Amino acid sequence: MARLSVPTTARLPSSLRVDPSNPAVTKILGRLSRSSLLTVVLDWLDDNNLPLAQPYLRRGPGDESEDEDEDDETDDFYPPARSVQALRELYLSLQARKGSKREVLDRITEGDWRHGLSLYQLAMADLQNLYDHPTSQKWSAYRIVPLKPPHDPDGEEPPEVDQQSLTIPRFHPSTFLKNLQAQVLPDVKAHYNFDQHKTLPLLLLRIFIVDSPYNTSLSLQTPASSTTTAASFDASRTVYIAFPNASPHIFISKPQTTTTATTATATLTSTASASRAGSGAGAGESRSLRALLVEGIPKALARPLQRQRFALRSTSLVTRNLAELVARRGGGRTNAAGGGWSVYADEGSSSSKRRGRETPLDLVLPSPPLSEQEGDCSAVVVGGGGGSGSGRGKRAAPGAAAAVMMMSAEERREERAAKRARLVARARFADTAKMGDGKGVERVDVVVEDAFPRLEGEVVDGEVEEEEEGAAETAAPSAGRGGRKSQVDAILQRVSGDDEDDGQEESEAAQGWRPYVRLTFHGPHVFAGIRQLVECGIIEGERMPGWMTGEEGVTIGAVRHGRIRGHKGSGL
Amino acid sequence: MEPSLDVEIEKLQSKISSIKEQLRIHASTLITAPSTRQLLTEGEQALRNGSDNGAPRKKLSLKQKLLNHSTLQQAHTQQCLYRACAAITTFRAQDPDPRAVDGGAILGLRIEVASRARFLRPYYVLLNRPYPGGSRHLRVHRHTLPPCIPLAGLAGRYLPPPPATGKAKASDEGAGSGRAKPQDLARFARSLRREVVRYHHRLGVVADLRKAAGLGGRKKMEEGDGQGGEEDGEDGREGQPQGIRLVDITPADAEVKQLTIEWADGRTGRLVMGDDGEILKLVVVGENGRDREAGRDFLGGAVRVEDVVRRLATLV
Repeated sequence: MARLSVPTTARLPSSLRVDPSNPAVTKILGRLSRSSLLTVVLDWLDDNNLPLAQPYLRRGPGDESEDEDEDDETDDFYPPARSVQALRELYLSLQARKGSKREVLDRITEGDWRHGLSLYQLAMADLQNLYDHPTSQKWSAYRIVPLKPPHDPDGEEPPEVDQQSLTIPRFHPSTFLKNLQAQVLPDVKAHYNFDQHKTLPLLLLRIFIVDSPYNTSLSLQTPASSTTTAASFDASRTVYIAFPNASPHIFISKPQTTTTATTATATLTSTASASRAGSGAGAGESRSLRALLVEGIPKALARPLQRQRFALRSTSLVTRNLAELVARRGGGRTNAAGGGWSVYADEGSSSSKRRGRETPLDLVLPSPPLSEQEGDCSAVVVGGGGGSGSGRGKRAAPGAAAAVMMMSAEERREERAAKRARLVARARFADTAKMGDGKGVERVDVVVEDAFPRLEGEVVDGEVEEEEEGAAETAAPSAGRGGRKSQVDAILQRVSGDDEDDGQEESEAAQGWRPYVRLTFHGPHVFAGIRQLVECGIIEGERMPGWMTGEEGVTIGAVRHGRIRGHKGSGL
Repeated sequence: MEPSLDVEIEKLQSKISSIKEQLRIHASTLITAPSTRQLLTEGEQALRNGSDNGAPRKKLSLKQKLLNHSTLQQAHTQQCLYRACAAITTFRAQDPDPRAVDGGAILGLRIEVASRARFLRPYYVLLNRPYPGGSRHLRVHRHTLPPCIPLAGLAGRYLPPPPATGKAKASDEGAGSGRAKPQDLARFARSLRREVVRYHHRLGVVADLRKAAGLGGRKKMEEGDGQGGEEDGEDGREGQPQGIRLVDITPADAEVKQLTIEWADGRTGRLVMGDDGEILKLVVVGENGRDREAGRDFLGGAVRVEDVVRRLATLV
């Protein structure tokens, strides 16, 4: 421990130890289950991590006898282990037998790491929590877009996004971190930890932020012990930034306070685009933190020597599901081919046969994709048949409507209608939006900006949408949504501001009555729910607007002329 | 008992599917054979000429079906031929969205990519015409290109949107040639394919590099450990000249223009490739800063990455 604490702009070192009695430590560790806690501890004791996670051990073998005496004297409930190996075995044995979480937790905080847990250890524990609860963070996706260098170096006007640039932003972790640190204000200290996601092609950066000018243990003291630094470790926050491999996107999680002391007035997706971020700073604390990040990240990515500057642009996708984010904004083919379009992007994951069919050397006439399931059921019985079977079982879940359909399924006509509905759903959604695919968004906000319909047919259309909203809402009763409204509006305003090509449409706004209709879909997997409703025949699949299939890949959007404005799905 | 039964069932099912696949291949070959086609058309004519009794009607409909199938198959064969010979083919599609622009008409571009003597899954670009006033300008609607292909930039270059009605007047006054650039779909498709092919070639050359580095090592220590990994086996390569003992070669960015090279002794290098695989830069950093010697050793005067592959293959 350093005796002298000088305010610096350096980052917090990974080896910095936090007192185990600190509420942040108990909170971070307390969130883990017993088994993951043990996994984390064994990870700490791994040879690679050991330098940054030294446990409290008995002193060297030379003064062993003396040590024994000391132990007997203090009557330690958790006597320190003799070696790392012994400790490893001890925790392995704990893993083998059953017990309470408390037992392990106490052993860590009062026994083997009584001298403090390093920030690195806390970061590992927090990441384990992220793996255990993949939906615990709310992520918003941003696209890294190249900026045109300003013509006049002293020019006032903000640099504009270069539409014709052919450069793809590149990302180098350590350089990025160095540059990001330069962007962080000196009265804030942060600890950074990079980790490759276990299952997804992502690089996770955990930023642990403490409001303190010091980068020594002084910054980690609780306010009780040091009255001078009021907002210290207690007000720490954690932000995750995820970099998908081979994709010019970036996912930023909503900042989370580690302790409950500070008010969580965090509003997600603040003033998103970097060009506007400056105006939004200073509203709420964590809001400004996010703005700071959104502002700082493109600067950290920039390489001024090569005249490459970037901006972050919001992509209107906010979800808790990282897998969905990777599918929509990742390095694969599915970015701009969602919903029914995914047949073009399908890499043949469902069956190897389909992949073979796409080569021009295969002369076998492809059967239409929808008849395939019925045509050679034996061939796809493992994949398709099983999938439809599980879908069938799940379809009964939504409630009475599905049950009614099942009951009257003896009648041929109804069965045919059901089959047709299923085929239509297949056509509109292809292989996406299945309940078990793990790629669900939990909330979609849509504002319909169309003029009030006068034709008979369109009235019905509107009713369907309203009904849909009701059904989705009942499936999972939403939390209070009053407070969000203004913010969604703000985002929509920004979206409409971004769309230059809608300029001519604005003139139409004067004519016709445009009621304010806002739809909120809420549930564990919104688009799978819509798909189920289509399969049940509650939504008429052919007339359903395209944005209800989720093919645009946005969770916030404005609908004009039956389409999400701004051509989000094209990815341009 | 049960698992063995399951295994047996699985085996049989895979057999069934493979036999079915064979059947389909044979059927498709047979039905497009000229003799079959002749037989079908002849029979049809004979039936049409003959009296329309009750009995042959069924036969006729069956034959009609077969004929239809044959025509379809022929069309498909032709499509496959085009796809195999031309790298870019177009097709028409229908947007399932009932509110889609332009009646849901979609023009699809299919870009074939061949890599390692086999066709990969083609990339698709789906274009529509969203602009009002019957303008024939195209716009990228959906696509399946990976994000490392600068599609947006290319579209901005070759498929610019038509001038907005309001803005057009203003720009007319400003510039003499107020009209926006015309769209050039052919150039767009060509340059897009160029980017895609370059990308795959870069991927391929990285794989070649890894192979050259790894395989050479294994050849050298043939009697040694036979680990199958491509990049491992650094222990057995003491005899290699000039210290080229590579541990790892991985692409470092999305476009695969930069490679990270790791030496067995802890040196790391970064190789920057141009669009077409020419070497732009190589920096090797050892323990004491930059190691120019190692960089020169690695390149050996090579200008292109393929030269390095060849060099590595001969060296080690």
